[in-house]
Amino acid sequence: MWIYEKKLEYPVRIKNPNPKMAKYIITQYGGPDGELAASLRYLSQRYHMPIPEAKAVLNDIGTEE
Amino acid sequence: MNHTRTDNAGKELLDQIRAIEFMTVDLNLYLDTHPNDCRAMNEYNCYVRQLQALKREYEMQYGPLANFGNAMSTCPWRWIEEPWPWEEGI
Repeated sequence: MWIYEKKLEYPVRIKNPNPKMAKYIITQYGGPDGELAASLRYLSQRYHMPIPEAKAVLNDIGTEE
Repeated sequence: MNHTRTDNAGKELLDQIRAIEFMTVDLNLYLDTHPNDCRAMNEYNCYVRQLQALKREYEMQYGPLANFGNAMSTCPWRWIEEPWPWEEGI
């Protein structure tokens, strides 16, 4: 299970709101080739790993993303 | 409800926490594939100790950083205090 941390990994301070850029970023985050989809792929790939190193690294990268 | 999460000392503490946590994430991923590197592991443990101390310090003053039993709260329940990370970039 995962816990929520009430802070960002890196602080975001938006000086000039830019809707076009925001759209790109939200796509990178939640779109079909985005972080969210990638993280879920790592988390299902981990079930097929034959060695401890590979299980751990996929579990942890999936978690971190 | 106090909104102390945004004061300068709190922000500075959080920046320190973030910097150290970045080291622990990166060392952790490295150690996953290099589990016999004891030098890296000692470094990891050293950052863990620092991180725990800093988080304790932050949470006592500014409220819990994590939910579901990972940090204590004073009364009233401080988890619901604003701002959330998506509200002010915290």
